[in-house]
Amino acid sequence: MKFDVGLILSWIPAALAGLEITIAVWLAGGLCALALGFGVAAARRFGGALVDRALTLYVALIRDTPFLIQLFLLYYGGPFVGLELEPYQAGLIGLTVYGSAYFAEIIRAGFEAVPVGHQEAAICAGLTRAQMVRRILLPEMALLVLPPVVNMQILLLKETAVLSIVTVPELTMTLTSLGSEHFAFAEALSLLAGLYWVLVEVTGALGRFAERRLARLSFAA
Amino acid sequence: MTWRYVELLAIGAAVTAGVSIVAILLGLGLGVLVCSASLARSGAVRAAGRLYISFFRGSPLLVQLLMIYYLLPAAGINVPSLVAAVLGLALCTAAYQAENLRGGFLSVAPGLIEAAQMLGMAPWRILLRIRLPIALRLTLPAVLNEAIMILKASSLVSVVGVEELTRSAQNLATSTYRPIPIYAAAGAFYLILNRLLAGGGGVLRRMLG
Amino acid sequence: MTIAFTRRQALATLAVGATALSGRARAAEDVLAHVKSSGELRVGTETFFAPFDFMDAGEHKGLNVDLFAEIAKEMGVKLTWVDLPWDSVLPGLEAGKFDMVAGPATITKARMARYRFSVPIADATVALLKNAREKDLTKPEDISGKVVGSGKATAQLAQLRDYAAKLPKPPTIREFVDFNTAYADLAAGRIVAVANSLPNIAYVAKQRPDVFAVVQPPFGLKSYFGYIGRKDPQYASLMDTVDGLILKMKKDGRLEAMQKKWFGVVFDTPDQVPTPNV
Repeated sequence: MKFDVGLILSWIPAALAGLEITIAVWLAGGLCALALGFGVAAARRFGGALVDRALTLYVALIRDTPFLIQLFLLYYGGPFVGLELEPYQAGLIGLTVYGSAYFAEIIRAGFEAVPVGHQEAAICAGLTRAQMVRRILLPEMALLVLPPVVNMQILLLKETAVLSIVTVPELTMTLTSLGSEHFAFAEALSLLAGLYWVLVEVTGALGRFAERRLARLSFAA
Repeated sequence: MTWRYVELLAIGAAVTAGVSIVAILLGLGLGVLVCSASLARSGAVRAAGRLYISFFRGSPLLVQLLMIYYLLPAAGINVPSLVAAVLGLALCTAAYQAENLRGGFLSVAPGLIEAAQMLGMAPWRILLRIRLPIALRLTLPAVLNEAIMILKASSLVSVVGVEELTRSAQNLATSTYRPIPIYAAAGAFYLILNRLLAGGGGVLRRMLG
Repeated sequence: MTIAFTRRQALATLAVGATALSGRARAAEDVLAHVKSSGELRVGTETFFAPFDFMDAGEHKGLNVDLFAEIAKEMGVKLTWVDLPWDSVLPGLEAGKFDMVAGPATITKARMARYRFSVPIADATVALLKNAREKDLTKPEDISGKVVGSGKATAQLAQLRDYAAKLPKPPTIREFVDFNTAYADLAAGRIVAVANSLPNIAYVAKQRPDVFAVVQPPFGLKSYFGYIGRKDPQYASLMDTVDGLILKMKKDGRLEAMQKKWFGVVFDTPDQVPTPNV
């Protein structure tokens, strides 16, 4: 088996186009998922017992079933119940819903990990409840949840490969197609692994940088 | 949906469960080793541990499985489908479990380990009897979470020729041209398997606690 | 034999936790001799390709199953199927995971440069499958300006691209991971047609006439389906034997009976691998 580096070089423009789509759907989906997850966690904490029970079920249902099956049902089953989505819309909504269940759990753990003493002390010191949430609860929580949030974003990045089943031409789809068309599987797999690895390492490094900045900020405050 | 379809999905679910559980246990064992390596005093061992984690977390599982199944034969190692499936899942999950366990290992009080050493316990016994149970108890939610992740990710092993739950569903969808109810049923099977896994985690928590 | 058995084997293997590496290393050994001595012919395929190869409520069926059963019988060996997603099938052949590939695959110039094809077993000319409700799609050129689909990295997709480029308003082409997801999207109504070989879509339309219909005539260039083997010299004797057996079945009417059973029609196929048009 020979390994054709020239072929890999000739694929770079196509790979970058796929990479662009992967990054775009990942960033959009990942941020929406984080926002929705935060909403779910907040609703569970402040929304009463019934809301908490309903959202617990939501989280369990999403986390216990594979993304592939969720996305398949959303995209191919949707039109039968009047939900017409284009590939990118389905991909984005699917990624948002899937990620939100994980982020909701991470943020819930964050809420619970901030010592009640800190919160009570702030109230005693004359802060209103809203001020306490903004100045004490959220900053302390951000520091705690940042590492698992970055970790989850990395997992979501790799889940974007599933979007190929709804015909989104992302990185995995692009490179496995090129590999099949040119009968060059080892080359396609190597480039694929290399590009994801770079993305993951860069994301991890940014996460650690943000962690250090946040830690300094909260000590300075 | 006839009973025959449910039965076929149940067979696929059994394969998913079997492959996943072996991979989860192997991966946890390997994860302890990788984690110990990444915390080792020797710089070279530490670098090797970090490199392992970086590679297996940084590249897609799909690629790892395909490399084991298709590229190893080029190096003269022919791996059968099932072995490739279990090995691929275990190697990948070990990297995540190593990261999960790290915080737990770091939280074990040094005094406890020193006391055990003074009592003359061998290093591997200290690991198995003291450090691991404490680390596992502290990190159980994350460890369990990763186990559920790997059970879901096992749907990828059809690329190395193992017919598991998702592949069974796809095969049924193909012959019936009615994919929606079949996929919904497959989703229900995953839900049941993961609830069972979470239940197993609860038993483990009581044993450790 | 069959995939159901492999699955039971899978469970049994897991139960005992066997992890021994059992390779089928066969550097330069003649493959036909190895098949005969081991008593097993291993064939890789994808079961998402009705009516050639599919699972019917758990049972492996199709023209491939009938045809390879005859081949194995003539050779006096046991048959083992390995089912993989199409992306993995050709890499599997190159990695020596099985002796040949069923598929079948359209005989194309690019593939012939890399692999050895068997003699043709059916027509592979590409046509369109449409949603039966689609009234203003009566001839292939009606897809102009619409959204259509095909399987990614397939010969059928390549033909659709060539054809689409010649239309006044080229249609948007969506690429699906396999043809069945394309059919699902056609049923859902997002695409107006799927391009695939005539035997395949004729079968799909026959299974669900309320949902799907074939658009006549085929738009593609004349092409044929064959089975894929390797070009390496140690594979030559196996592929020669398979060719001989297919021609024998063609002569004594077995191939005709199988085509009639699975396609409803009999194809006139050449006795040698023709020079491909595509």
